[in-house]
Order: sequence, then C-alpha cells, then structure tokens
Amino acid sequence: MIQAEGLTKRYGDKTAVNDISFTVKPGMVTGFLGPNGAGKSTTMRMIVGLDRPSEGSVIVNGKPYAAHTAPLREVGALLDAKAIHTGRSAYNHLLAMGATHGIGKARVNEVIGLTGLESVAGKRVGGFSLGMGQRLGIAAALLGDPATLILDEPVNGLDPEGVMWVRQLARHLAGEGRTIFLSSHLMSEMALTADHLIVLGRGKIIADAPVAEILATSTRTAVKLRSPRADQLAQLLQGADVTITTTEHDALTITGLTAPVIGEAAAQAGIPLHELTPVGASLEEAYMELTQDDVEYHAGTTATITEEAAR
Amino acid sequence: MSATAIATRPAARLSAPGIVRSEWIKLRSVRSTVWSYAIIVVVSLGMAALMASTISFVGEIPAEAHGSYVVQASTFGIFFGQLIVGVLGVLVISGEYSTGMIRSTLTAVPKRLPALAAKALVLFLTTLVVGLVSVFGSFAIAAPILAGEGIQPDLSDGIVVRDLALSALYLALVAVFSLGVGTILRSSAGGIAAALGTILLLPTVFQVIAGLTQAEWASNIMPYLLSNAGMGMFSESMDGTGLEQWQSLLVVLAWAAVSLVGGALLLKRRDA
Repeated sequence: MIQAEGLTKRYGDKTAVNDISFTVKPGMVTGFLGPNGAGKSTTMRMIVGLDRPSEGSVIVNGKPYAAHTAPLREVGALLDAKAIHTGRSAYNHLLAMGATHGIGKARVNEVIGLTGLESVAGKRVGGFSLGMGQRLGIAAALLGDPATLILDEPVNGLDPEGVMWVRQLARHLAGEGRTIFLSSHLMSEMALTADHLIVLGRGKIIADAPVAEILATSTRTAVKLRSPRADQLAQLLQGADVTITTTEHDALTITGLTAPVIGEAAAQAGIPLHELTPVGASLEEAYMELTQDDVEYHAGTTATITEEAAR
Repeated sequence: MSATAIATRPAARLSAPGIVRSEWIKLRSVRSTVWSYAIIVVVSLGMAALMASTISFVGEIPAEAHGSYVVQASTFGIFFGQLIVGVLGVLVISGEYSTGMIRSTLTAVPKRLPALAAKALVLFLTTLVVGLVSVFGSFAIAAPILAGEGIQPDLSDGIVVRDLALSALYLALVAVFSLGVGTILRSSAGGIAAALGTILLLPTVFQVIAGLTQAEWASNIMPYLLSNAGMGMFSESMDGTGLEQWQSLLVVLAWAAVSLVGGALLLKRRDA
C-alpha cells in the first residue's frame, strides 16, 4: 500500500511533480502511465526516499519508507537498471545488498534462479546487456520478498520472452496480495498487465481509475462496416452527432452510433451489410485523448486570459 | 492468501552489523581494491629493502638515533601508500555515484548515515591492517640489513613499535579523509584531484610561497597540512620547530573528521 498526499517536487523553478495525491492498493497491478518527463521516476524515487519531496508526503505500508525496520522487506524497487556497480559480479551485488538486512546466500541464489541469471551470476555487471541488467535489477528488488514492489519501466530492453516474464511475474505477485506499482510509457503494455491506472502528465494526475473504466469513458468508440452500397448507407445515417469517414470505397467508420442502431437502419432500408464491427478504443487512443484534454485545458486558459486582456 | 505468503517470508532486518558486512563485501568484491592494497604491500617491502641496503653512513651514528633510522627505512612505503589510499578512498564512494550504485545502497539503507559510517569503518580497518602488514613486514626486511651496518635500535622502550603502528594509523586516516572528499564531490576525477592535491600539492604550494615571500605565516602553516602532520605522527620533525607527535595525530584526526562530517551532512541533505 502506497499513499501519497499532496506530493510535490520542484527543481529550481521547474515543477516535476505538482501536488499529486493517490493510493496504490494491494492485491492488484497499478500502472503508472505517462510520457517521458511526466514525473513518474521522480515520484517513484520520492516513495523510497531517494528524492526529498518539496511539499507533501508519501507513506508505504503505513510509514515513511525510511522509518521501517526492514525497508527491503517492505518495498522492492527497480528504479534504474543501471543502479549497480559495474566492477562487481551480479552475485556479489545481491549478496552485499542482502547483507544489510541479514539476507543470506540462500535467498540470493533463489532470486538468481527466479530471474534466470544463473549462467551470468559470477560475471562482472559491466559486461551485461540492458536486458540482463534489467533482470538483475528485478532480482535485487525481489531480494527482501517485499510486500510492495515498485518497478520503473521494467520491460525496457527486455526481449519478448522477458516482457512476457515480467508481465506474468507482476500478475502472480499481485495475486499473492502484494502491491505492484509499475511505470511505463508503453500503453499497450499496461493494457495487458495493469488492473488500475494512474496517468500522469506534466507532473499532474490526469486519470486515476480501473483500466476498463478508462477504456469505457473514451469517446472514440467506433463502428466499422462494409457494404456494397456504402454511399447510400452513409447518406441514410447522417446526423448531428455522427461522424462518418470513408476508408475504402465500400468501407465506413462511424462514431456516434452503436452497431445495433446501424444494423437495424440498414435492414429497414434493405441495404446489405458484409461486415459490422464495433471497435473499442485502444488504451493508446484513450491515453492520447486524456493527454490531449490536458493540453486543450491549458490552451483554453490562455485563450480566456487573452480575451479578458482584450476587453 | 497474502497471510500465508507473508508467514513464510524469511526474517530480515536492517542492522548495523549487517550494513558493515555489506560494505565489507562491496570493498573486497571490486578488483581495484584488491590491486591497490596489494601494490601498497609490495611497494612498501621493496622500498624498505632498497632503502636499507643503499643507505650510506658517514661516521658514527649515535645510539639514540638508531630507532629513527629503522623507522624511516620501514615507513618509506607510506609516502607512496598515501597516494594509493587517497585514490582508493575517493573511489569507494565516487564509484557508486558514477555507476548509480549509490541509489541501490541508499534504498537498502534509507537513513543514509549508517551506510557512510559503515563504509568509513570498513575502509579504516582494512587500510589499518594493510598498513600494519606493510610497515612491520618492511621492518622485518630492513632491520636485519641495517643490523649488518651496526644499526641496532633498542626495542625495549616500545618507541619503534609505536611509531611503526602510528604510520599505519596515518595511512588509515588518509583513507577516511579521502572517503569524505569523495562523498562531498561525488565524482572520481574531481575527488581524486582534490584528495591528491591536498596530500601532494599543498605542502609544495606553501613551501614555494614561504620561499618566495619569506612570509612567516606560510611556514607556520606547514606542520598543519595533512601529509606533513602525517609524517609528524611517526617521525621527528625535520627542522625541529614542528609539532609534537600527539599534536600531529590530532591534526590528522581533524582533517579526517572535518572531511567525513562534511560528506555526511551533504549525503543526508542531497537528493540521490
């Protein structure tokens, strides 16, 4: 469980994270979504106390991270795959990390096995590929068998098999009742992994809702159809809130009407349909729409100010 | 489901001995550390053999000076060792900043200061042991050679042994000083330049100033410079106007303490 309250981080006069409050609940995967530079990594660093908030606070499992008697047991964090000394072997890195908490060789070997690093554990980290570094970072995060897992862009640099593995691991750990907080700028990845989404844009929370809800609220739900008399049908369906685009000579994409309404209208007019498919908005589209709203909001304010100034 | 998962989790707890063990694993598992210490020992022993066998004596050496001759021959490696240790002390922390390791370290030890304290302790003790091995090993080589020249110090008063131990202590304190410098500057290049500049360059700079301007303050400040005070810890001052050995020890302690406390304050305050 992670609870942030009015969390703010300023670097000079640039505000990276602007007064955000959110709760990450146990037993599910919460996705932390936003474009690069939105403030995701800064927020995650503040959770484990690496960066000090300018204002506000964040607690993990009821306490500030540093106040726990066994921090690695509470939170496992992969914040940066490169947060490892390049001159040391993977095994010794994990051993040194674990030693602080009295975690010994048995658990170190366990996480090495869990992340599939057996063959390279004795090698120096400097020679690791991005993917292996990422696996080692995840191994380090799992070392304390933590109740809360924070992973910043965990699938970066992983091959498809590795991506699948992280996805399954996250789902499995959430199934055990743990809190999983996962950041990404890849919306497609989130659609497959997360139950809940917190969307961040320009340091502010744009959306905080279940994945299904974010998809459902999207206005971009469309219907695709094919008909030999597509032109005739397009004329028939025209209306105030309806947008019709012709993609091919016999294909239409329509928003503003549901598939049953279109189907019945076509049947009454005796127009044959070869295809009629409702298209759900992808998370990408929903996300673009959300961030676009954010941009429009800013543009709107500027316009208002200009109008007022003109008066 | 979560209850069973949590019940089977291994016991783990952040503890001071654990943090010290972690820093020991870190120190010994990087090649540069092992090499640096090996070089100190090898060079010290070699220097001692060279010094003892090439030293030439004109006339009779008074018996009370025999001790300082042996100490001088046995501690020659310290002059060289302080440079290596100066680099090593910086690298122990700057290497963590340059690789990003510091974020892993501070995530495991979020209160931060215990991590720096453990680093300082491990570095101090390891360097002390290496220093003791070097100087007493050098003594074992140099003493028989010098005995052949008729220089046989009286060991019964313990002064020779004390001075040899003090030279190793100086080496260990230089390591702590450099660790503080590395923590303050967070960069290998800057940290090494600052640490070696303090050890090597400062005495020369003040010597030049004193020589050119005949300024008394410049020569007065000389015994308080880190490396001069360090030499003053285990050998008599060359011009006889310097500090007592115990005063030199206090000066070196102050250098190490100021540097480490400065690093600690910044480590606590800054974002990692």
